[in-house]
Amino acid sequence: MSVDDETSGWQLTESDPGVFTELLKSLGLPLIVDDLYSLDPESLATLQPLHALIFLFKWIPTSSNSVAPQRAGSDDPDFPGFFAHQVVNNACATLAVLNALGNIPSLNSGPQLADLLQFTAHMDPQTRGLVITSADWLREVHNALSPPSAFSLDGLGLPKKTEDAYHFVVYLPVMGALYELDGLKPYALRHGVYNESGEGWLKIARDVIEDRIKTYPVGALEFNLLALRDDPLPSLQSQLEYYQSIGDTCSTSDILGRITDEISKRERWAFENSLRRHNHVGLVQALLLSLAKAGRLSAAEEGARKALKDRLEQQKARGEDMQED
Amino acid sequence: MSLSIPNSEILLAFKAGRAFRREGSSAVEPSRTKGAIYLTNGDDGLLHFIWVNRETNTIEEDLILFPFDASFLKVSESPGRVYVLKFSSSNQRHFFWLQDASSARDEEFTENVNGLLRDPEFDLRWNVPIASTAPEASAARPSGTSTFQATPDQLATLSQMLSSITGAASGSFCLIYSGVASHTPALEPDVSLIDILTPANLTPLFNNHPELIPALFPQLPPDLPVPPSAEALQRIIHSPQFRAAVSNFDQALRTGLLGGLVRTLGLPEEAGTGVGPFLRAIQEQADRERNNNMDTD
Repeated sequence: MSVDDETSGWQLTESDPGVFTELLKSLGLPLIVDDLYSLDPESLATLQPLHALIFLFKWIPTSSNSVAPQRAGSDDPDFPGFFAHQVVNNACATLAVLNALGNIPSLNSGPQLADLLQFTAHMDPQTRGLVITSADWLREVHNALSPPSAFSLDGLGLPKKTEDAYHFVVYLPVMGALYELDGLKPYALRHGVYNESGEGWLKIARDVIEDRIKTYPVGALEFNLLALRDDPLPSLQSQLEYYQSIGDTCSTSDILGRITDEISKRERWAFENSLRRHNHVGLVQALLLSLAKAGRLSAAEEGARKALKDRLEQQKARGEDMQED
Repeated sequence: MSLSIPNSEILLAFKAGRAFRREGSSAVEPSRTKGAIYLTNGDDGLLHFIWVNRETNTIEEDLILFPFDASFLKVSESPGRVYVLKFSSSNQRHFFWLQDASSARDEEFTENVNGLLRDPEFDLRWNVPIASTAPEASAARPSGTSTFQATPDQLATLSQMLSSITGAASGSFCLIYSGVASHTPALEPDVSLIDILTPANLTPLFNNHPELIPALFPQLPPDLPVPPSAEALQRIIHSPQFRAAVSNFDQALRTGLLGGLVRTLGLPEEAGTGVGPFLRAIQEQADRERNNNMDTD
């Protein structure tokens, strides 16, 4: 079912809020993605307005089987929203974002994305996945955040990246119900209607996600939760102006602190994204050359030899342990 | 002068002559010939125990040693500074006597020889700093004159002489097998660039050699949101993105197929055949640039 990653032209990208946010920016959307460290109501409240939760996980197979979650949801072949199948593994992060974006009402997107969403509106999930992953402009936006291939590693027989094993599931509200969109499943999963009052869809989403996490044996699941939300900066800036105008110094300094945090986070993302796009081979050579000029290269090499030896000994020790078992 | 055997292959060297057991007796008689013992990490990746005749500049003994097979012991029955190289896999004995003017460091040499005989990657231990200008070299694999008790000229002569006989050693040559092939150091994986470009190695470099930092700036990402600085470099070398790039390059180098790429870096094609050759090419580049600077000064 999947298109071969090596021929698809889609490169592997990191699953990081900074990468997702850069993608959203390239798509011309006033949205950001933040890490979510807790599902408790207070944490979620500070991130409102929240459009979707992206559950990103790597399942490590263990001997014990996972139990079926109690809140598995039900297949909805008549899902009224936007759902595309994941047909290219490396595109999975971008596809998850699109599955979320395609269901945000009155999304203020740029013309290219609007055209793509409209063009695929009445397609079945499989065709939609194929059409999306054959959009050259989207692939270019996606690939812009992966390292440049200074040297082609294809055909060198290198081991596959572990990120390949990551899987993305999107939880979001569509027409009054919570849905789970998993590009590897045939249908959208419906988790039932939610109450608009109070926390709304997030209350069901929390229960569903926590239930899902519990179904995996301890240690068998590495996961990350991301929140797709409005860019808070414009709103914070207008709040700042308001509090300044009424002379509320306490609220003003509180808002200023939050703006400072947001800006330093953006600076960090920009820094990391510039590193992601960069070819570091020249820097590697220059650093080694500096070590050599300072007369420190052979000492560093010796240290590396010792580190290697220690690793080999540890491996050997582990191997012997396993034989004893 | 260009030496085809890089000094970096020399692990340890000290002056020693040979000694021979007198026919029909257990007495050992030192030969007056001046010589030196060399322990080298040959380009075959194996530990070589070499005895060089310093009078004729020839290698008269070139023994390939496998870990734990040999030991270098003082012959306590002999009144002089006589040592024997014994093998656990055979009855072979090779006798030597130390010729360094002072016997003060005999024990250190012996300990270091045995360290290397047990493990070719043994960290040499010295009681006194060898080069006062670079005390950290004492813990390091020597890359030059640091462990040799002779003058740089003598060392150069020896190195040149070693290089003239690469591979085809004269005199006796014996290969002692010990255990299975997987024990040979040649089959062990090469060091990793990830273990070399560590913050622990780079931070003291940035702190102690600020003059080397500006040369790194052209290699930083052009769209870095902060101005190039030592602090930005610190952030970069700690970043998972940089670490991942180093690891990818390291893996690619291990395929031995990067000859074309390293040429674009101004290095000889041979540097693209592995991590070790790449590091040697960088060291040579540094030496060359240093010499050029000395010429122009």
